Parts: sequence; C-alpha cells; structure tokens
Amino acid sequence: MTCSRCLLRLPSVILRGQSARLVQCRILLRSTSCSQISVLHNTHNQVLRLFHSSPVCPKSRPVPAEFNNEEKEKKDKSLITHDDLFERVAKETKSKATFNKVVDIFLKRDVRRRGHVEFIYAALKKMPEFSVERELAVYNKLLDVFPKEVFVPRNFIQRMFNHYPRQQECGVQLLEQMEANGVVPNIETKVLLVQIFGEKSHPMRKYQRIMYWFPRFKHVNPFPVPRQLPGDPVDLARFSLTRIANDLDAKITVYQLPHTDLTESGEEITVPHIVGIQSPSQMEMLARHNPSRPVFVEGPFPLWLRKTCLYYYVLRADPLPSDVKIEEPYDPDRCLIYPLQLDLDLDRDLGDDESFDVDDLDEGPVFAMCMTNHGDQATLNQWISGLQQNNPILGQVPTLFRLDAGPRELQGVETDSQQSHPHRSDPKAQRGEMQPEEEEIIMEEELKRSQGMKQ
Amino acid sequence: MSLPKLTRLPSARLLIINHLHQQLLPSITPLSVPRRALIQGKYRRPGQPKEDKFPWEGINFDFSKGLEGIKKHFTLLKKEFYDRWVGPEGKPIIEHMLEQNRVIWEFRGAESLQHWIVSSDKEIGGQSEVYLKPGKNGNTCFLYGTLSSTPPRDGETRYSGYCTMRSKQLLASFDRKKHYDWSSFNTLHLRVRGDGRPWMINIAAETYFSHQKDDIYSYFLYTRGGPYWQDIKIPFSKFFLTHRGRIQDDQHPLWLDKINTIGFTLGDKADGPFQLEIDFIGVSKDYAHTEEFAYEAYKRNPEI
Repeated sequence: MTCSRCLLRLPSVILRGQSARLVQCRILLRSTSCSQISVLHNTHNQVLRLFHSSPVCPKSRPVPAEFNNEEKEKKDKSLITHDDLFERVAKETKSKATFNKVVDIFLKRDVRRRGHVEFIYAALKKMPEFSVERELAVYNKLLDVFPKEVFVPRNFIQRMFNHYPRQQECGVQLLEQMEANGVVPNIETKVLLVQIFGEKSHPMRKYQRIMYWFPRFKHVNPFPVPRQLPGDPVDLARFSLTRIANDLDAKITVYQLPHTDLTESGEEITVPHIVGIQSPSQMEMLARHNPSRPVFVEGPFPLWLRKTCLYYYVLRADPLPSDVKIEEPYDPDRCLIYPLQLDLDLDRDLGDDESFDVDDLDEGPVFAMCMTNHGDQATLNQWISGLQQNNPILGQVPTLFRLDAGPRELQGVETDSQQSHPHRSDPKAQRGEMQPEEEEIIMEEELKRSQGMKQ
Repeated sequence: MSLPKLTRLPSARLLIINHLHQQLLPSITPLSVPRRALIQGKYRRPGQPKEDKFPWEGINFDFSKGLEGIKKHFTLLKKEFYDRWVGPEGKPIIEHMLEQNRVIWEFRGAESLQHWIVSSDKEIGGQSEVYLKPGKNGNTCFLYGTLSSTPPRDGETRYSGYCTMRSKQLLASFDRKKHYDWSSFNTLHLRVRGDGRPWMINIAAETYFSHQKDDIYSYFLYTRGGPYWQDIKIPFSKFFLTHRGRIQDDQHPLWLDKINTIGFTLGDKADGPFQLEIDFIGVSKDYAHTEEFAYEAYKRNPEI
C-alpha cells in the first residue's frame, strides 16, 4: 500500500527536487519490499537534477553503474560521512597533502557534489588538526568545492531574497575562519566567490570587508612580533629582552649557553641558558646604589609573544624613602659643550602646562633583566655572579631572591626541565617549591657568597 | 573579590551567538543561522530557561537601604547644586578654560576599583577567569587572570575566550545618567604595564536609539611587556565603530560629548595567564593631531 502511494507521489517530488522527501519515500519503500529498490533507483537517478542547477548539469546526467553501487553503500552506513572521510584517508599522517587528498576524493566521488556544505563545514573543523588553517591555497581549494554558477541569483527576486542561504552562510563561515586566522584572501578567492555566489552575495560582501579592514590594521602594532619566532631559545631570549628593555644602548650578554653534560655517574645534566641585558645607564645607577640597601632578584614575570609565554627575571631595588632621597645638583662643568640644564622662561602661558596631574609612581630602579628557562636560585645566582664582572658593587650589596613559584606550574613548554629540577636545586629552593602559594624570600648571606665568588 | 560581577552584556562580544534551526547531522558543525534578536535583551545562554519573574521581584525593599539611598542621593544633589556656583563641573571657569589634560581615572587605593566591573566569558559558559586587585603598593590597578578559549559545549556558541574590565556608568543623584564630556580633548592617554598581549580599548558613548546601545568604539592597545611603564596616546579619531563585536561598514567618528564607559578587553586566543597594570587613564589635547577621522566616511563604491 505505502509503496504504491509513494510511487504515485514521486512525480511531484521530481518536480520539486527535494531530496529530503525523497529519502523519506525511499526509506518507506525499502522497509516494505526489496524488489522495489531497483525501480526506485532508476527514478531517483532521473530526479537528481536540481531545479536551480546550471546548464552544465544535464550533460552529466547519465549515472554510471558503479556510482550507483557506491551510493547504495554510502546510504547503508551512517549519516556521518565527512568526518569519517577525513579520519579514513588521513589515518597515519595529517598534513596538507592528505588534506588535499581528502578534498580530491570528495570532488571525484560525486559529479553533483552532493553534501558539499556539510563537507566544507567538516573540513573547516578539521583544518587545525591538519595544521593547514593558515594556508590560503587550501581555503581556495575548499571554496572550489562549491558548484559554480548554481547559486548565482538570476533575477531581481532571487537577488532580493537570500538566495541559497545555507550555501552562502557556509561561504561566509569559511571566510570568517580565514579572517580569524589572519589569512588575507587573494584575487583567486574573489574570482571563485564571483563564480559561485555572484557579485553582490553575502560571501562577496564578507570578502570586501576583509579586504577593506585587513590592510588598514596590518601595521598598526608598534611592537611587532614576527609570525615565526626564532626556534633557538637564546635567540628568542635575545629578541624578547631587546623588546622589553626598549633601550638601544642596552647590551645583551649570554652568560651561559644551553648544553647537556654527562657526569661520571651517568646522570644527565642540562645546563640552562642565561641571557641578560643591561644598559650603561643601569650600570651607572647600580654603581651609585647604596651598598647597605639590598637589591632584589624578582620573578618570574610573564611575557607573551603571540602565543608563546616566556618568563623573565629582574634585578631591582626598592625605592628610596623620601627622607633619604637627595637631589643631585647639576654639575655645570661636567659637559662644557652642551648645557646640561636649561632654565629658560619661554613665556609659558597659564594653560601651557601639558603634564598630567598624577603622582609619579616610584617603584625603584631596575638594574638588569635576564631570561632563563630554569628559574631556580642556583641559575639566577650564576647570572648575578656574571653581572658582578661588570658591576663590582654587587659583591657588597646584599642580594635577596624573591622568586615566585606560582607561574612555573603554568609553563607548559618547560615541563621536562622542571622535572629534573628538584634533584639538583639546593634545599632552600626545594622548601620554596613546597609552598608555592606564598612569595618566598630567601636571605642570602651575601658576604659568604661574595667571598665564594671571589675565590 | 568583592566586586560585583557583571550582569549586563560584556562590552565586547567576541563570540557569535547562533541559533540552531535544525540539526541535520549530529557530527558536523551546526548549520546555523546567525539570528539577530529583535529585542536586544541580556544574553541568555542556550538551554537556559527564561526567567519567570516580575520585574519588581528582584528589588530589595529594605528600610535601611532606603535610608542610605536618601542620604546618598541628597548629598549628590547638594553637590550638584553647589558645583554650579563654582563653575562648570565644579571647577573655576579659568581652570576649565585653560585645561589641557584631565585625569579621568586614577587608581589610588582599593576604593578606586569600585568604579570598575570585570567580567569574562564565564557568563556564556566559558572557562576564563579574571580578577581585579590593587597593585603592589596600592597605587595601581592590577587586572589578572587566565584566558581560555575553549568554547562552551552547548552546540551553538562557536567562539569563546575574553576577559573584560569596564568602568561603571556615571550616575548623578537619583540614578540619573551622567556622561563624561571630553569634547575639548582629542587624545586618550594611558599609562599601563602589560605582558605583551594585545588588548582592545572600548569606548561606549551615549546613543539616541535603543538599537544602538551596543555600539562601541574600539581601538587596539598593544603592550610592550617588561618592567617599565608605558605611556600610550591614542587619538580618538582612530576609534572605529563596532556593534556586538562586529566591525561596522558604516563608520562614524566618536562623539566625545557624551561618553558613558571605557573598557579593556582581552581576546587574543592565547590560552594562559595574563596581567595588565594600569596607573591612570586620562585625556589630553594634542595640537599636533588634526585628523578628524581615520577611516573613510564617504560613500564607497562598492558600498559594503
């Protein structure tokens, strides 16, 4: 009964070309009798032409037999096809080549590219896994999956209403993913979009918006970070220290290069890199520092370069209390060529005061900065002793270590070096790790240390 | 953190809310239609039931609260009244005329943090955390937390991962809206210390129509990182119009006579801890800057 009714209904389905109802019919049919299937497939093949399909389509109407079988196979399986396709093809390696292969397989599978919207959504989702989310060529290839000229509106009514909304949304989402990953589309993208969706469609608008705003904000960052950061940790530290020091006179010293040693007992010891930066003015400031007041090694402080987080340490002192502070008078004989102090009254008006009415924050001077991948006290001690060669005053000044154990757990990159950390560090640092919550202040007996340095 | 959590919408929405029409296939990304709500109410998470309460049910009719309110509002009213006699905005007229710059927010002590609201994507089901506390010597504001860009598993939200700090709306007596008038200045001046992450500054101005209430003018704030303070000057002409996290085609310069709030948003998709220390936020007059608007305001072809 149901079969015959469905068969009767088929012509109307053919006219509308709605595949959903068709599938419904087919399921009904299949449940009732198996003999009907072949008949249905024939009708189904005739139905395949879409109402809005382009004139190119009818040429490829005859469907090969093996295609028919494949279709049957696919239908027997679950509805989840495209995710599965990615998993099946790229079983061992996930690379650009395999991604392209999957797209090619999809393109070859069906002349009509049935289910291309679902495929593109699945592909967009899989892109980070294949690490192709920043490849323009891949986006263009994905855009190429859309059938051409089918979704272009042909008359004003189609243009007025949202023509093929599902497909347009898919196109917009593809462009949005490009935008989110900072990929600038090129002329090929534009040509493809015009071919697929037409001149004034939503994806085309999205393209125009991207091309309007991206160049405007391209060089807006005053502290640019290269897309590809240097792989060597010493180079990376060099780059980031010059960035944060913001001083052209500052000199970078590599106190220790990273290398791995083998001790007699066969234990592997990794020596961390220590890179420091100090400018002449900082050295001068440190030389004038009162030796009775301690200096502090503080850290680690985070520094983000795009998506990598680095940590740096700072050698600093507390601000002087206001009663100790002495204004140094200018010595007019220090420089005879240029006057060091100008006391000109240039007839400033009442409103010419352009400084802000805020109290200056005095946080104490910063004497030096360093970067290391191993922020325990022993390593930083090496840095201080390296600094001591150029700043002899550090031998007399007490040095306090205010090391924050907090962020070290968050460091994902350097877990291996942390694991080896407790074996080698001194008991003081170990005690500090047991209480990661509070700031650990370790008073060094500086006399002993400086004596040790001098030996 | 005793700060009240934001109940309104966050200042910059980096997420896109999508409503699912039909879910055809369970495994693929939802075939979703970005639908714009007709009435722009507060964000309701997908699956969250509508609140079935009368508007007056959330109000606290406490007697002592009423007394406090009377005291507060009449003090404000008195101040408002007597300020007029001194000059515009409570300053002598000569000072007002010769003003070259003005410090709007200065962070001195814990009570200056009461003018700010922090919020994160927790409201939409995300996992970012943000906290605000006074800086090390109590003279700055220290915004810190963790960013996590994992979208909530509700099947509709596609993006997540933002942390925001926003100033509260300025209120006159009896909770009338008051605005900042910065029309004699042209540059925003900040002194910040960040950790190298890019932030976004959002300025919300008073609008006339209710559908514009999420219109926000934004610009980028790039931090250098490191132990030094960084003075940042951003001309107001650079700010571009956004609506609900989307940059608008029709750009318009920011009108400075009625500024409601300023906000800082982080959403750079780099998961991990972040920090931003702000010393002060001020406005200044930069005579060298004459640009009115940095973006094209004429009719473009193609008009996008």
